[in-house]
Amino acid sequence: MLKLLKISGESLTPEYQNGDFVMISKIPFLFVPPSPGDIIAFHQPGYGLLIKRIQQITPEGEVSVIGSHADSVDSRVFGLVKKENILGKVFWHVQKS
Amino acid sequence: MIYQILNKIDQRVHIESVKAHCDIPCGIYDPIIAQISALTVVRMLDLMSEFEAKTPDRNKDYMNSMSRYVTVKEEHAERAKAEIRVIWGDYLKAQHLEKYPNAHALVHKIMQLGSKVRQTTDREQATQLVEAINEFAQIFWETKGIATKRAKAPYAPALELVYPAL
Repeated sequence: MLKLLKISGESLTPEYQNGDFVMISKIPFLFVPPSPGDIIAFHQPGYGLLIKRIQQITPEGEVSVIGSHADSVDSRVFGLVKKENILGKVFWHVQKS
Repeated sequence: MIYQILNKIDQRVHIESVKAHCDIPCGIYDPIIAQISALTVVRMLDLMSEFEAKTPDRNKDYMNSMSRYVTVKEEHAERAKAEIRVIWGDYLKAQHLEKYPNAHALVHKIMQLGSKVRQTTDREQATQLVEAINEFAQIFWETKGIATKRAKAPYAPALELVYPAL
């Protein structure tokens, strides 16, 4: 339902910094479906648990994700994220500073 | 305040990490190591030729020195290949490959030349390796929007290398 996670990495800087905490959940999707701009956590085979911003959503519900950083490892590298691999949307963000 | 509390909890129970990763090291790629490695291969071949010409005795000292040149040539040919593989595999993205459709063929050519200069003492093949890696460097800097210049390396064998014009 709810999951507290700690961010490691810089691909969502400056909004989300290395060491920040985020609370994620699928509950927000019960009211509003995933939409571009949402920050989501998801499992990507071969890459593990990742956090990125939704860029686009296909009619089948698969999402294309992107980081803010030019060298971010995201859908430009690993393609679309399957709907069932999405763990939830960030609804609470605790910044390091 | 909330962060400090969460951080303390993290230290005790280890909160799961979620990766917001860039490539590691983050964006630090440079073909110069491959270029210098290829240049070193040419240098070793030149040193081998000079040494062979001036050393008539094929004694154990000769064998020892020659094997050292060969070892360095081997190491640098392999290093050049490894460096190019990393940039090709980790840095170049689909949009780069769309713009530079010959990149795959060029990398394959570099791999083949890198092996050839290990197998042989053909200087021509080694200079082809330098030039192929220069071509790759040109593409690499173009993907970053950085202009390049060609200049002779300031050390033997003083072949031309592609450098970023910063």
